[in-house]
Amino acid sequence: MARGDAEFVEFARAASARLVHAAFLMTGDHHRAEDAAQTALARTYASWSRIRDDDAYGYARRILVNHLVDGWRRPIREYPTEEVPEQRRDDVADEVATRRWLTAILGVLSPRERAIVVLRYYFDLPEAQVARELDVSVGTVKSTSSRALEKLRSTGERAVDTEEACR
Amino acid sequence: MSDLDRLRHAMRVTERPGATVDLAAVMRDGRRLRTRRRVAGAGAATLATGLVAAIVAVVVGALPDDPRTVERPTQVAVAPPPVAVPPTASHPLGPTPTTTPGRGEPSPSPVGQIVDSGIRHGSDQRVFYVVQVSVPGEPRVTIGLAAGRRAPDGTVTTDLLVNDVEGADRSPGFHQIGYDSGGSGAPVPTFGYFVGPAQQIIGTVDGRQVGARLARWSADKQVVIFWFDPAKLAPGDKLDGIVARDGSDRRL
Repeated sequence: MARGDAEFVEFARAASARLVHAAFLMTGDHHRAEDAAQTALARTYASWSRIRDDDAYGYARRILVNHLVDGWRRPIREYPTEEVPEQRRDDVADEVATRRWLTAILGVLSPRERAIVVLRYYFDLPEAQVARELDVSVGTVKSTSSRALEKLRSTGERAVDTEEACR
Repeated sequence: MSDLDRLRHAMRVTERPGATVDLAAVMRDGRRLRTRRRVAGAGAATLATGLVAAIVAVVVGALPDDPRTVERPTQVAVAPPPVAVPPTASHPLGPTPTTTPGRGEPSPSPVGQIVDSGIRHGSDQRVFYVVQVSVPGEPRVTIGLAAGRRAPDGTVTTDLLVNDVEGADRSPGFHQIGYDSGGSGAPVPTFGYFVGPAQQIIGTVDGRQVGARLARWSADKQVVIFWFDPAKLAPGDKLDGIVARDGSDRRL
């Protein structure tokens, strides 16, 4: 294996889980998330000679998010309830409840709103960087983020109410 | 725990550490993509069948008060050894047919006149020329800018082609900047084009300002082709910023 390829494999192994999860947060679909991460990594590999000494992870993340924002228009899907992935955590019930809550609240957002929420609160990027990565103004990031959080709050309250009503 | 904290927490605790992708497939797809870019470069460059160019898409974004800084990732396909093709400077101005690889259409050619940079690589001239390109889903991207070498017998070898990958290729302002990637037979000076009445283009690198040399495209005088003297800006060195100024020294 060429040196560049070995470097890329090391990078991809380190980055893939987080990229897949970010894609999952944006789509709600594990298969779609894996496809998107694979696409982002393939494009990263295609440009590897150029970016490997730069911010390769940032490059892959930008490809991933823009790929999903541009290409994914369907509403977020529910998790298959029978699918409980391997977890390190002990309380599987809590884990499933958290996933359901997350699915419910992210499901009300548009693709761009989800992208901004994921970049801001999962990757913890500052607003200016989110704006650059999505090629929008900082004002758009602020207003969209605020709108998204308002939706999340109202949806979160309803989700809690529903959860309590079911008990 | 606030709603935002709960959201952050939920996004993290639902990570699946074991999630992976098929790396063999990733690399296979990446190689195919790289190859497609090369082929697209060959077709788009409208130079000759078998010509393979590197495609660089670096979009330089605008900031209101500071010199422009590179905001987007670079998409690059490194070219194999360039192929010499017949001279094309005498080709007519105006649009040439868009060629698609594999369709057997006429050999592509530069649009407008070839610009001699005055830089020499042995007996070869460093030249720049506009070529027609076709980007799927982007009808307003029809041109790219190529850096090549012209031999004493007039044959032109393309080293690097840069083009927009979205938007409009004639929108005012900077478009792409081509950086040497070490894949050609001679170092390629940093180059690109600006649309508008630029009389000066100044790059910034490591706090140092470097003026570019300019030439207007013969087919559209609004398109200002620029390049940096390799003695002042080493090929491949990334600019930290770039600005254009008009004849009144007003920033564009």
